[in-house]
Amino acid sequence: MGENILTGIAAGLRGLLDGAGVPVLWNDVILMVVKVVVILLFITVNILWLVYMERRVCAFIQCRLGPNRVGPKGLLQSFADMGKLLSKEFTWNRYWDKVVYFLSPVLIFVPPFMIYAIVPFGDNMAAVNMNIGLFYFAAVSSLGSIILWSGGWASNNKYSLIGAMRVVAQMVSYELPLMLALLGVVMLTGTLNMSEIVNAQHGVWFIFTQPLAFLIYFTAGLAETNRTPFCLVEGESEIIAGPYTEYSGMGYSMFMLAEYASVMLISAMCTVAFLGGWLAPFGLTFIPSWIWFFLKMYVMIFVFMWVRWTYPRLRVDQLMGFGWKVLIPLCLANIFVTGVGMYIYRAIGW
Amino acid sequence: MFGKGLIKGLEITWGWFWRKKVTVEYPDEKLVMSPRFHGRFELDQEKCIACGLCANACPNKVIQIEKAKLGKKQILIKYVMRIEYCLFCGLCVEACNKDALSFSSVIDMNQYYRGKVRLTMVDRPAPTPEEIAAAEAEEAAKAAAAQAAAAKAKAKGEEG
Amino acid sequence: MLKTQTYTLNLGPQHPSTHGVFQIVLELDGETVVKATPVPGYLHRGIEKLAEARTYTQVIPYTDRMDYMAGMLMNWGYVGAVEKLMGVEVPDRAEYIRVIVGELSRIASHLIATGAYAGDIGGLTGFIYTFRDREDVIDMLEMISGSRMTFSYFRIGGVAEDLPPEFFPAIKKFIEKFPSCCDEYDGLITGNEIFQVRTKHVGVITPEMAVNYSLSGPVLRGSGVNFDLRKARPYGIYDRMDFEVPLGCNGDCFDRYSIRILEMRQSLRIIEQALEQLPEGPIMAKVPKVIKPPVGDVYYEIESSKGLFGSYVVSDGSAKPYRVHFRRPSYINLGYLGKLCEGWKIADVIAILGSIDIVLGEVDC
Repeated sequence: MGENILTGIAAGLRGLLDGAGVPVLWNDVILMVVKVVVILLFITVNILWLVYMERRVCAFIQCRLGPNRVGPKGLLQSFADMGKLLSKEFTWNRYWDKVVYFLSPVLIFVPPFMIYAIVPFGDNMAAVNMNIGLFYFAAVSSLGSIILWSGGWASNNKYSLIGAMRVVAQMVSYELPLMLALLGVVMLTGTLNMSEIVNAQHGVWFIFTQPLAFLIYFTAGLAETNRTPFCLVEGESEIIAGPYTEYSGMGYSMFMLAEYASVMLISAMCTVAFLGGWLAPFGLTFIPSWIWFFLKMYVMIFVFMWVRWTYPRLRVDQLMGFGWKVLIPLCLANIFVTGVGMYIYRAIGW
Repeated sequence: MFGKGLIKGLEITWGWFWRKKVTVEYPDEKLVMSPRFHGRFELDQEKCIACGLCANACPNKVIQIEKAKLGKKQILIKYVMRIEYCLFCGLCVEACNKDALSFSSVIDMNQYYRGKVRLTMVDRPAPTPEEIAAAEAEEAAKAAAAQAAAAKAKAKGEEG
Repeated sequence: MLKTQTYTLNLGPQHPSTHGVFQIVLELDGETVVKATPVPGYLHRGIEKLAEARTYTQVIPYTDRMDYMAGMLMNWGYVGAVEKLMGVEVPDRAEYIRVIVGELSRIASHLIATGAYAGDIGGLTGFIYTFRDREDVIDMLEMISGSRMTFSYFRIGGVAEDLPPEFFPAIKKFIEKFPSCCDEYDGLITGNEIFQVRTKHVGVITPEMAVNYSLSGPVLRGSGVNFDLRKARPYGIYDRMDFEVPLGCNGDCFDRYSIRILEMRQSLRIIEQALEQLPEGPIMAKVPKVIKPPVGDVYYEIESSKGLFGSYVVSDGSAKPYRVHFRRPSYINLGYLGKLCEGWKIADVIAILGSIDIVLGEVDC
């Protein structure tokens, strides 16, 4: 029933604009703007929800209750946090590189939001259905590291500098395993279009045919979003807050929210590539496709949080060694095996 | 196999995710302190004889006593505890041999203003000279009556 | 011309992982430490000087505040020294009670060492689990002495009060529950491959260096030197207790950490034996009300949770000590920190400092 609610609204809006006599070009532009604004609003609400979810999951794992006083069951905690962060004192340092310092927390949201435009939230529900979807994802997601690095550099603080250097090293090293893991999926489907990748999983999800690629993608995803066990960028017990040390109030919260935005993004990509996107498992199609997508995305986010609160963090040279010396050879092995497997399947005639 | 420890860690945290939580939600639920808990001090003024043993026992000179002589008895004029310097060690409670000073289970001793932190147990005005004279006269009368009674008893004893 | 340069980083007094207000001035080449200079003294409160103006009994609350994690053991070190000077014989029941509360304090201190170390390496969940279990120990110590952290329970000649009746069912429950808690820490922290890769072969102390620098406690035993004062020169009634002394083989951070968990299990054994053997009797020897030891000086050591804790008391015959000096194990164990950190990364400095297990109240006294 609710399957076509979002496409229905979009079609209705288009019809309304047509009926009002708006030219087709303007029709398309207005609809695109509406889609983008809705996605942005939705992602922002989700990020606020994720702040609460992280604190609750963290508390439950640590056998305590977590925030449960502000609002019913503590659901309004994120708004209280926003209020607190907005009211924090703002210190001004003469030695900052002011332009870069102020631009970094603003720009940190740009790469995730650019990629959300192409994520297929359901059947025919991607805002922009690009044919080179995965390639676009790979290209734009690398931009996050330079913005974090510039934030750390502009702070004129040795701790921030160490954190910024770690960010660059880490995010550059783990881009390769991330993309190479997805390459296995691309080889099976033969297309970079995200909706096509989801459609190709009608029979069996790719997590079963590419388990190694899934594990490598998960590990590299943890490293890309600076989550434990790869959280040495903001390794709290060593370099205080890494590149975010000099930021207070809203600047700091922008970085934190952007981290959650990228966690959601990596989970969404994982769902599309490995967990069947918006396809219903066991044929339970009475639940709309976009609800399946969000359920799977949130299961992945829960696993991210579960891993975060269980493991300690790696040291920087161990992290680099793990990325370059372990994950990349495994990725290449995976691609080799996938290629050989595909050839044999075709030769046998399956 | 590599990774066994990692999986065990995940199992342990998964188990605790579903178990009962240990939080005591403070102002709604309160923990019961043990009977010997070193909370706020309480002074039983009936029992206190103003001997000053507690003030001498304190490492930080937290207790300040002022006493006055009313006839033969010593009464407390002022008993102030400077809680901001107190170590809550319990040496004063142990020193009191009349059990006048004791600990209660009260843990909220915080105040908004520094001046209110001190615990003033007793703060009564010093006895006026008339009161002292009256008390001394009473004592003298009692002593004289006791002497007379003793003399009468002695005379009776000699007679009988 | 391209060249690299070292820079100075202040692992300053305000840092989440220095276990208090402790500063290490690091000279770094990239992320590698070239020179490390520890700077203690930010928490100096002058306890030894204050003790000169207090009577012998009034010094006891000040000794709790040195190693506040294991307050009972600090009390014991000082009180034992004065008793040795005066020649007081402590009754048996008091000795057994001292062993019970001392070992409970040792468990509490090692729980913090374990939890804080896990927190420093990055697994904050382990930190919360150890603190949850420490609550049980602290509740029992609260039943006995009235305070949860700074007990002031020992007196010269015995202990202040007898064990209350509600203590015995609580300690029985704890003895049953605690081995499974230790298994949980082993599963979550010790067995974790990431933790092992962070701590194995990091900060190796050879046995010769350990003995030369007067290290003691788990730091010394981690390097393989078999010296536990409770077995080497038993004090009190430790010669009647049967327990093992865990030893490490490599002298790295992992050994020092896992020794503490094994020591907690052994402490539980000691408590069980002490409870079985607990005799009836007085809890305080016959000491005068005003304590005036004869003129002289004495040095008395115990095995505290951090190492050898000793007090040196000089008496001039009056009611107040002439001089009190404490040999604090955390301070002596830090002597080797500067040389030990050279060549490791910043993350390893934190790991090494955590494995030495310092308490700033004790370092600065």
